[in-house]
Amino acid sequence: MDYYTDAIFRAFELIITLDSEVIQVVTTSLKISLSSTFIASIISIPLAVLIARNKFKTKKFINIILNTLLSLPTVVVGIFVYSLISRRGIMGELDLLFTPTGIIFGQVLLIIPLITALIRNVIFSMDEKLYKTAVSMGASRRQKFKLLILEARYGIIGAVIAGFGRVLGEIGVSMMIGGNIKGVTRTITTAMSLETNKGRFAFALALGIILLSLSFLINLVTYYLQEGKNYARR
Amino acid sequence: MQDDKIIELKNIKKICGDRKILDIDNFVVLKNKFNFIIGGNGSGKTTLLNILSLVDQDYSGQLYYKDQKINKEEQNLKLRRKFSVIWQDPYLYRGNVYYNIALPLKLRDCSPKLIDRKVKEIAKKLEIENLLHQSAHTLSGGERQKTSIARALITEPEVLFVDEATTNLDEESIHFFNSHFADLVTDEMTVVMVSHDRRQIKILADYITLLHQGKVETSKAVDNFNFQIFGAGIEAPIAEIV
Repeated sequence: MDYYTDAIFRAFELIITLDSEVIQVVTTSLKISLSSTFIASIISIPLAVLIARNKFKTKKFINIILNTLLSLPTVVVGIFVYSLISRRGIMGELDLLFTPTGIIFGQVLLIIPLITALIRNVIFSMDEKLYKTAVSMGASRRQKFKLLILEARYGIIGAVIAGFGRVLGEIGVSMMIGGNIKGVTRTITTAMSLETNKGRFAFALALGIILLSLSFLINLVTYYLQEGKNYARR
Repeated sequence: MQDDKIIELKNIKKICGDRKILDIDNFVVLKNKFNFIIGGNGSGKTTLLNILSLVDQDYSGQLYYKDQKINKEEQNLKLRRKFSVIWQDPYLYRGNVYYNIALPLKLRDCSPKLIDRKVKEIAKKLEIENLLHQSAHTLSGGERQKTSIARALITEPEVLFVDEATTNLDEESIHFFNSHFADLVTDEMTVVMVSHDRRQIKILADYITLLHQGKVETSKAVDNFNFQIFGAGIEAPIAEIV
């Protein structure tokens, strides 16, 4: 029991003293997760609008695929991306394996379905009068898109935050594509796994506390954004 | 009379599923007049208004504006910006009343100075100056409608479409609408109005088209419009007439 109590104290000590190794792992994790969330959002927002607002033959099929990919295991994405970027893969020449860019690539693929599906649902639920009014005010296609995004902004931010939470806590892609290289591709989750196996429980625990705090913060922001949305609707 | 037309529809058909909801051989909107479209529930009034205002471009048939055929496959942005619509249940965007009224001018890239002047002018006319900085989602039904009227009129449209603007309003707001509306519309403006309100027809109408089951039953100047043939006078509500 003393071992665990001691580990908890040491974990908080590592956080409070801003241990350089902890900071490095957290910084790497945040850089990678923020980059992948940003790229995935740029792709997902117009994609979601396209799916939600247009009629096309394969729409039902795309929606089923999108919903299926929501529960995609991270290791499956890891294997898929590995097969693409390993030396024998079709993207092998790009040398993305064991690089932060490789992880970002994998994480983008992981969260595009999640962000797209969540935003699609937000757009689906928007009042049809929003579009009619935009047309009647003389909005161009681009202006209609901008108005739609502005109206749906709280839901969109919520979806983006959910995507960020997913990549921050995933381990499959980071481990398989990143290779857990210290100072380069070692993220919070891969470091926790490694350090626990090495017996550095306090270090892993410190990272766990930080991850949990970040998740709490993400949920707090999402909650207040949703509340803001509800308040504005009242 | 036909020479004064600004919009003309020919062989317009609108089908939803298996149901034909609009089937009009010919329909004209007269320039600088109050053109009323009346009819019972499900007669196709709002569908017709949506097609006329280019909000709905999913129909078969031809639409002409000043004798120029409108290509419904195109955005028709230039033409759409000559039109404005006041809806029965207006949608107000997230933001305050000022933002909502200013929006059509912002979409037209007008200068902030011009926008500010015009918003204040129209808000004064509609007696909503005190609401300009209030959130649009906190307004009453009457205030929402006044905001949407201001938003529609701020661009000084060539053609103003009004879709049962007073249906959901209380007596006070209806009275305000009926007594102020004619003053808010300029002589150069053409108005197409869908209405159930016989008082509005008495006060405003120049020309009336009666729709029945998606077809034009009759289309006449208000003085020649024989309400008696439907078994009731102008004093009876339109819903009873049809």
